[in-house]
Amino acid sequence: MFVPPYFEFVNSAKLLAGEYALENIPSEMRLLGSSRPMILSDSTLEKIGTVSVLIQALSKGGMKPSAVYTDIPLDSSIEKVNEISAIYRENNADGIIAIGGGSVIDTAKGLKMLISQGGRDIMNYVGSEMLGRGQSVPFTAIPTTSGTGSEATGVAVIKDGERKVKLEFISSFLLPDIAVLDVRALESMPARITALTGLDALTHAIEAYSCLQKNPISQCYALSAIKLIVENLEEAIRKPKDKKARISMAIASYIAGAAFSNSMVGIVHAIGHSVGGVCSVAHGEAMTILLPVCMRYNLGFADDDYADLLLYLSDAETYASTEKTRRAEKAVEVVENFISRIKAAAPIATNLSERGVRRSDFEQIAIRAMNDGALIVNPRSADKDDILKILEKAF
Amino acid sequence: MKTYIKTITCKLILRVLYRALKVLAYKDSRIRHEFGSFREGFTIRITLSEQGEGVIMRKERGKLVMISEVEGEDLELRFKSIDSAFLVFTGMMGISRAYAEHRISVKGDIGDTMTLVRIIDIAEAYLFPRIMTRRILRSVPMKERSTISVYRMVLLGF
Repeated sequence: MFVPPYFEFVNSAKLLAGEYALENIPSEMRLLGSSRPMILSDSTLEKIGTVSVLIQALSKGGMKPSAVYTDIPLDSSIEKVNEISAIYRENNADGIIAIGGGSVIDTAKGLKMLISQGGRDIMNYVGSEMLGRGQSVPFTAIPTTSGTGSEATGVAVIKDGERKVKLEFISSFLLPDIAVLDVRALESMPARITALTGLDALTHAIEAYSCLQKNPISQCYALSAIKLIVENLEEAIRKPKDKKARISMAIASYIAGAAFSNSMVGIVHAIGHSVGGVCSVAHGEAMTILLPVCMRYNLGFADDDYADLLLYLSDAETYASTEKTRRAEKAVEVVENFISRIKAAAPIATNLSERGVRRSDFEQIAIRAMNDGALIVNPRSADKDDILKILEKAF
Repeated sequence: MKTYIKTITCKLILRVLYRALKVLAYKDSRIRHEFGSFREGFTIRITLSEQGEGVIMRKERGKLVMISEVEGEDLELRFKSIDSAFLVFTGMMGISRAYAEHRISVKGDIGDTMTLVRIIDIAEAYLFPRIMTRRILRSVPMKERSTISVYRMVLLGF
């Protein structure tokens, strides 16, 4: 196993996972000093009753939210964070409970940043590892998808609506204090979203295992995540009410999130973010399309890591019967076959043209990808021409 | 090695790096292109440690100039310790690796940071011998001019 000359690892969120996890939130929030938290969510989750399930669970523990805000859009924005911070202060809230996907949780991180720093505009905190702890703002994150891993990361991606760019905020102080994985928050996920978010989590784990910031702890996390995804994703798609498969995928997503929050992600995400930004392709779909192509691009530069992954992506027999020098390539083939099986179970795209990306978009995608922070930690460097070739292969 | 020796060494090499960037922003097409993406008046601070010693550069009328003070720079790369800065400025570690190992804090846009990192990677290919750059860079950029001519312009100004 690779031991870098120096590395850092942080995963400070307390995890509550499994039956009646939601009901334990009031007790945990009080221990952190919050009795009037503000709930953040989106309108869909409010409509289908997920927010009500949370409010009922809080009420059983004698906790009433000081405010409930459910108008968070798919892409979190700086303007939205600034708006919510005013509501938080008006209602004298003393903590945050975010229930939703990556956008809701990232918005909550932005809110935590503003309140803890006592500021009015989060633009002042753009950057990496510059943010101090600030005032304590107890923060619980409850994911309703199993893919972003945002409940386990110290990263928030928030759109600057004025400049039309996504800004990254990176700090261990953005990590939630509590992450809650409860099947009731996850069971509304349709098959397609289950598939795409699951493959997003797989991408997190594979990139975390092989990127330059990898370390023995993040690699352990990544391997566990991969095993859980391979064993449970198809089941979670085909039998959405299967509680074991659902919670296993949520755990996998959390673990993969913790892994990539420390190891970072690489070229799949660098290009995927740009494909999403330029052509509005869903993040999970961009990951699904680009993962095998980018793994092939990295062959020769991440072979030892990919060879290790073969055991977790397949089984002991496949690993043992594959010649040592062929294991990395075999791992890529196994990923391709796995994605094909998922495609048979849920309607997902496996190439860019299926999602309306045009060759004329490639130039803009490549330019944006070059400026993505994920590219810097990929095991193989890539320039614009390399990215254009990857896009052509993924087309 | 004593901290003050490391500090003096880093300050000296940072000055050389600044002058190299100033020269290469004209003489290397890739750096010229990258530098062009910064808006006029864009300020960059590179700080050697938490104690705040470093340089501040600004793009003025298309050129890179050093300034003594600025309020609210657009981008700051701050090494967490002088030892980390020493590893980078003496060619023992690439700037990408230093970022990956959390040895640098960044204030400002990550996209601008990536542009600066690419610029420094290319500059390092000129300033350090290939035996070092092969070890610290994931791929060594081709040089458009000889190292001797760049050092001549950096040190002698012609």
